[in-house]
Amino acid sequence: MAREFKLPDLGEGLAEAEIVRVLVSEGDLVREDQIVLEVETDKAQVELPSPFAGRVGRVHVREGERVPVGAVLLSFDGGEGEAGARERAPARAEDREPPRPSPVPEPRAEPEAEPRRGRPVPAAPTTRRLARELGVDLRLVRGSGPGGRVLAEDVRAFAETPARREAAGAPVPERAEARPLAVVPRGLEIPPLPRFEQWGPVERQPLRSVRQRIAERMTLAWAVVPHVTHFDQADITDLELLRRQHQTQARETGGPEVTLTAFVVKAVVAALQAHPPFNASLDHEAGELVLKRYYHVGVAVDTGRGLIVPVIRDADKKGLVELAAELADLARRTREGKIELSELRGGTFTITNIGAIGGTGAMPLVNYPEAAILGLARAREMPVVRDGQVVVRRILPLSLSFDHRVADGADAARFVAHIVRSLEEPGRLLLAG
Amino acid sequence: MPRTRLDLPYHVDYLSILGPDGTLDTDLEPKIDEADLGRLYRAMLLARRFDERMLNLQRQGRIGTFAPIKGQEAAQLGSVYAITPADWMVPSFRETASMLWRGWPMELILLFYAGYLEGMRVPDGVRDLPITIPVASQLPHAVGLAYAARYKGDDAVVLTYFGDGATSEGDFHEAMNFAGVLGAPVIFLCQNNQWAISVPRKKQTQSRTLAQKALAYGFPGTQVDGNDILAVYAASREAVERARDGGGPAMIECVTYRLGVHTTADDPRRYRSEEEVKEWERKDPLTRFRDYLQKKDLLDAEQERRLEEEIAQEIADAVARFEARQDPDPLVMFDHVYAERPPELEAERQELAERLRGTGASPAEGEAPAPTPMRGQRRTSRWPN
Repeated sequence: MAREFKLPDLGEGLAEAEIVRVLVSEGDLVREDQIVLEVETDKAQVELPSPFAGRVGRVHVREGERVPVGAVLLSFDGGEGEAGARERAPARAEDREPPRPSPVPEPRAEPEAEPRRGRPVPAAPTTRRLARELGVDLRLVRGSGPGGRVLAEDVRAFAETPARREAAGAPVPERAEARPLAVVPRGLEIPPLPRFEQWGPVERQPLRSVRQRIAERMTLAWAVVPHVTHFDQADITDLELLRRQHQTQARETGGPEVTLTAFVVKAVVAALQAHPPFNASLDHEAGELVLKRYYHVGVAVDTGRGLIVPVIRDADKKGLVELAAELADLARRTREGKIELSELRGGTFTITNIGAIGGTGAMPLVNYPEAAILGLARAREMPVVRDGQVVVRRILPLSLSFDHRVADGADAARFVAHIVRSLEEPGRLLLAG
Repeated sequence: MPRTRLDLPYHVDYLSILGPDGTLDTDLEPKIDEADLGRLYRAMLLARRFDERMLNLQRQGRIGTFAPIKGQEAAQLGSVYAITPADWMVPSFRETASMLWRGWPMELILLFYAGYLEGMRVPDGVRDLPITIPVASQLPHAVGLAYAARYKGDDAVVLTYFGDGATSEGDFHEAMNFAGVLGAPVIFLCQNNQWAISVPRKKQTQSRTLAQKALAYGFPGTQVDGNDILAVYAASREAVERARDGGGPAMIECVTYRLGVHTTADDPRRYRSEEEVKEWERKDPLTRFRDYLQKKDLLDAEQERRLEEEIAQEIADAVARFEARQDPDPLVMFDHVYAERPPELEAERQELAERLRGTGASPAEGEAPAPTPMRGQRRTSRWPN
């Protein structure tokens, strides 16, 4: 009989693991305790040593696949003298069954929900009371708490969105972390998705928390804010020269290097001070424009988990060097996941710089409830006509998306022109402090 | 009245005898006969190899969660060597080296970590308490044991282990206080391995040392290089002799390092740096002790090779004995929780028994029976929730 290495519960009560690396191939001879796989669980990335010595008959998993505890990872040919060779013969890649049936739920034809039966749904008494008050049958609600416990927020979210009540009746996929977005535009009935499986295999991944948050925030911004985007460009040849000079000095003295973003923050703050509506929020209930007399500038940081926007407080009171140091620190801690929640809140305006990756321009979405966001694309050396001559200059493309309820295109043009002027004549910024 | 500085009876010493670079303080070097040095080295190597093997067994699903000891062998063997079989050893959950020294068969330890009741049974003639998982809960037991021994006129002392994290627990302070007040012959051996799961030592306490906590309870505390088996032994012997002579308790803080995972369910790369681990690998107690023995001409490459072979065989044999075990009756799990089994537990036991006989309805079909309500729970509810 073939010997099988099944995925053990590597932590305490884990349900599955992701195969990170497969270090052996079919036909390989391995020693007992030789490392054959690397897997990642919710708790740790670990190497798996082979429990058997012998020849690998079949590798049942591939890299990147998520497999449940108990799934066969490898099977080994039978022990010495056993009928292992014969058994192994049909085990060819072609007639292998798929490693794991995908846990995609069958969409239901009718939205008739089938309540969970049997045991009581785990929920705190206050949650039960809330469910009664809102007329929600707890058995239909997917719990996001420990052990599937239904939390008050689950009940509220369930009660708010009619579209989801229907979906909730469908069988629940294994990975229970997935939950619907908390933001769905009111009055908008989202039709159910087609059965993608009819066209080919699919994999369902629950949204990670950062992704989920972004999805909710962007849905909100897109639904609430009438967006307009204004495009412009700044000639930053002189600024770049200044920056390079300073960079050399900074390297000698060990001080922070002043980045382009730091200059842009400075330029934006000066423009915001001159054009208050871009540092405002619209209070739609009160019918008022809330002009903020503080300048907290958010700077979008691309992390492995998604886009996160840490905020520089009181950017108007900080010098270029200080801004540069703070930017570097915020970006580093954001990438390392060490940023405090309080440092992500309270922004009045956002800057997003996609220049490091490329592109000639993009239309960013406002970071609601802020009124505007400035996008920076990649600065390039380009031919430019100056006094009838074609010269090479370094050009930075800018795009400002703004809330058209708050300002008009002409205001935006003036606001961006202010930023462009500051960047083209950096002396203005330096003299301003 | 003047303000005067009070004289406390103790101060905290730091003790190191065999440095990480192999330098030896010959004035402080304890006298250990050559045969025992050999036994200690063998025990250290066995503990290291057994620990490595257990990690593999866990990754293969052959045993469950356990707490590896890699890097802490000197702290355990240096201290456990200072007590006799007539003394008591009260472990926490990371004392495999001490347990092996005390005579626990490897297969018993494997059974414990594989979830078998038998693994909890202390071998005959071994004066140890079983492994304790709840942090610091073993310390009051150790004090009680020591107090009882003295009360009965037994001259046994008690050696109890705990980690840096335990020093933040109430049980630790209660145990220390009682030990001081009662003059109980107990040695509190703290394996300060720098990390309480992911909480670093510096976030554990504002105290400069953990050893100084003993001073507040009126007995001596010593900090030693926990990766130096000679220093650990010297400090332990002193504490054991003092306790046996009626001098009361003592605390020893072994400054050591957990080179591996907290338990097999942990990934230390998420909270500590590779450089930190590398730095401590240079202070490895095993290589330090090996170099010491080689310099004394008590160990050569050939002996080392033979030792490795013997140990590999011993471990392989123990694993084979462990895997030859009989699987227990699952119903046993209901037997030792309550003296009198409550009705809902009895119902569960019946249900499992039926399922095991294959007569019960499978859980997939039909509705699961409503659970028996607990005392005080309403039997009926207007709401199905």
